[in-house]
Amino acid sequence: MILSRSTSMLVILSLSLIMGVIFLSPNFLEAQTERKVFQTHSGAIIETSGQILDPIYSVSEVEFDPDEFLRNFEYGKISVNSEGKTIRDYTIIAEDNKIQEISPGIFYNVWTFNGTVPGPTIRATEGDIVRIQFINNGSKEHTIHFHGTHPAGMDGVFEPVGGNGGKFVYEFEAGPVGVHPYHCHVMPLEEHIIHGLYGVFIVDPKEGREKADEMVMVLNGFDTDFDTENNLYAANTIPFYYQHHPIQINTNELIRIYVVNMVEFDPINNFHLHGNLFKYYPTGTDLVPSFFTDMITFSQTERGIMEFEYDFPGKYLFHAHKVEFSEKGWVGVFLVNDNPNGEE
Amino acid sequence: MENNTTSRKKIILSGLIPFVFVILMVSFIFGPGSEMLELGVPLPEISIEKVIFIDSEIQAVVRNTGPMPVTIVMADVNDRIQPAAVEPDGYLQRFETATVRIPYEWNVSEPYSIGITLDDGLRFEKIIESATYEISFNTDNALLFAIIGIYVGVIPVMIGLLWYPFIKKIKKQSFHFFLALTAGLLLFLAIDAIDEAIEISNENLSQIFNGNLLIFTVIALSFLGLYYAGDKLAKNSTKTTLSRNVAVALMISIGIGLHNFGEGLAIGASVGLGSIAFTSFLIVGFALHNTTEGIAIASLMSRGKMMIGMLFCLGLIAGVPAIFGTWIGGFQYSPFSIIIFLAIGAGAIFQVLVVLLKWIYDENQKTLSNASIISGFIVGIFIMYITSIVI
Repeated sequence: MILSRSTSMLVILSLSLIMGVIFLSPNFLEAQTERKVFQTHSGAIIETSGQILDPIYSVSEVEFDPDEFLRNFEYGKISVNSEGKTIRDYTIIAEDNKIQEISPGIFYNVWTFNGTVPGPTIRATEGDIVRIQFINNGSKEHTIHFHGTHPAGMDGVFEPVGGNGGKFVYEFEAGPVGVHPYHCHVMPLEEHIIHGLYGVFIVDPKEGREKADEMVMVLNGFDTDFDTENNLYAANTIPFYYQHHPIQINTNELIRIYVVNMVEFDPINNFHLHGNLFKYYPTGTDLVPSFFTDMITFSQTERGIMEFEYDFPGKYLFHAHKVEFSEKGWVGVFLVNDNPNGEE
Repeated sequence: MENNTTSRKKIILSGLIPFVFVILMVSFIFGPGSEMLELGVPLPEISIEKVIFIDSEIQAVVRNTGPMPVTIVMADVNDRIQPAAVEPDGYLQRFETATVRIPYEWNVSEPYSIGITLDDGLRFEKIIESATYEISFNTDNALLFAIIGIYVGVIPVMIGLLWYPFIKKIKKQSFHFFLALTAGLLLFLAIDAIDEAIEISNENLSQIFNGNLLIFTVIALSFLGLYYAGDKLAKNSTKTTLSRNVAVALMISIGIGLHNFGEGLAIGASVGLGSIAFTSFLIVGFALHNTTEGIAIASLMSRGKMMIGMLFCLGLIAGVPAIFGTWIGGFQYSPFSIIIFLAIGAGAIFQVLVVLLKWIYDENQKTLSNASIISGFIVGIFIMYITSIVI
């Protein structure tokens, strides 16, 4: 008897809890009357009784975090060999069955290195031994083809690695100095690249570079309706992300960006910086800049290093000056704050 | 008695048994036989049925015309992504509609493509050749449309009726020529309506509605319905004061009225779609074209007593629907309703055509092969073709 009473108490309690949650939840109360607002390009505020479709100004998050990717460099598991050389060990796993939200509400079958597009940014110093345990957990054959100097057998072209657990070890000496892409090189190549099997490989000079706030930007695009035209463009995969999540930097601090263009279909892409000019090192192979400009154009897998400093705080746009791309997502904002350390 | 009820039960049962098997057949394919339905990959599909341009905003009315529910997630103008909203919400069941609101400073008379992207990244677009403000429903516009309707529908038909004294005086052979000419005119109008309906269906209606089949279904229904009603009217006319030719003339007026309603829709819609040059062509063309419709009514009324009042009324029945057409076409444009109206009009004209041919046949000693009839028919079609080129 006591048991049944306590059971009924429990039932009543949980029922009232559920009812309480339902009635007090803001969604329930405001479901009929709630009006949401969003902003237009001209700054006007528009009210709607429906749902907002705004990947541009409305702050939104998806599974992949471009902010985390931006300043993340993978130096590998470090050891030293008998010759005294640094060995950097990495494990990279390829997959091709993930459905990822690549813009708010838009889901696309991404093919990934270590679960993300782009894959991890691999960073080594010139002369280091880079050793990569490659595991292919996809259903198709995949490889990793690094741009840079290495023996033929390490090129990731004639050694396709079978799916469902196929393995291969890529081992080579990092070089030359610069910023290079890596990507899968299995045919049909375009299909493997546009689905997201690419990443950045940075080789630092032995003497190092000047201290800076460093970041990686992979310029990429997605053809979500398979008509051989990109529907979305971005710096680091998510369209408009740095527009609603401005990149925080400081005045009078050197900014260094490793930029790699991985856009397919469109013969060119470009990078234009507002309120400033940058020193540009094509491919990053030379330590002397080739250009001082605010606009650089890239063809496929063209890349380089940009260096600049802002004198004045505030919001500065950066975007493709092929404006179509910027209106489809390849646009962002630097939010320049006053340097807490004063003039450096 | 008992025998009777059991035999009735048997009849009902025998009527029901096939239904049981139909239910079994359908439940099999959704139950154990569902593998048959899983062949192939269903693709989502939406149709942008209407694009409305208002102050600083473009609105797209979107319908899910695919085999599965979809979610609208992004909107673009000229293939450039825009902040937007979807009301009431972006999740659409089959055949459900939503309105996508895109704030946009658009420019009058420029072309725009409006794109809608679904959650799987598929993009659908609709091209608007020339943007123009949506026509607001107010007395000024309603009056303007009424004037256009009168100009296109009423006045030309009345002008056509002025041939009445001429037709009344001519000989029987010439009269048959004019009757056949009327038949020719009507045949052309019916074909013209079908052609127009098919064009609108192909351009603006999602395939899922089977536009072309819809057109022919509605034509058949309209024809059969009016044939039945017309027959009743003709039979009653012997009892009432209406003579047979007046009854036929009335039917012709109704048929022409339905046709002019369709013309009004076309004019109203083209004003709504912003094609100004096209609209003025339509107005002039239809006006010329419609004087011939007056001749059709006049020739039927020319046998029998002179009835000015009746003639005037028939002219109104034929002409006034054009006014309603411009209103509906201009203020409430929908490809679906326009197709339905055009098809009803075509069916009505076929019905009139059949009645008219039968009448000529009876009048002309049970034959249609007669030089004046054949030449009248050909001239009728030819006149319409020539005037239609003007449109």
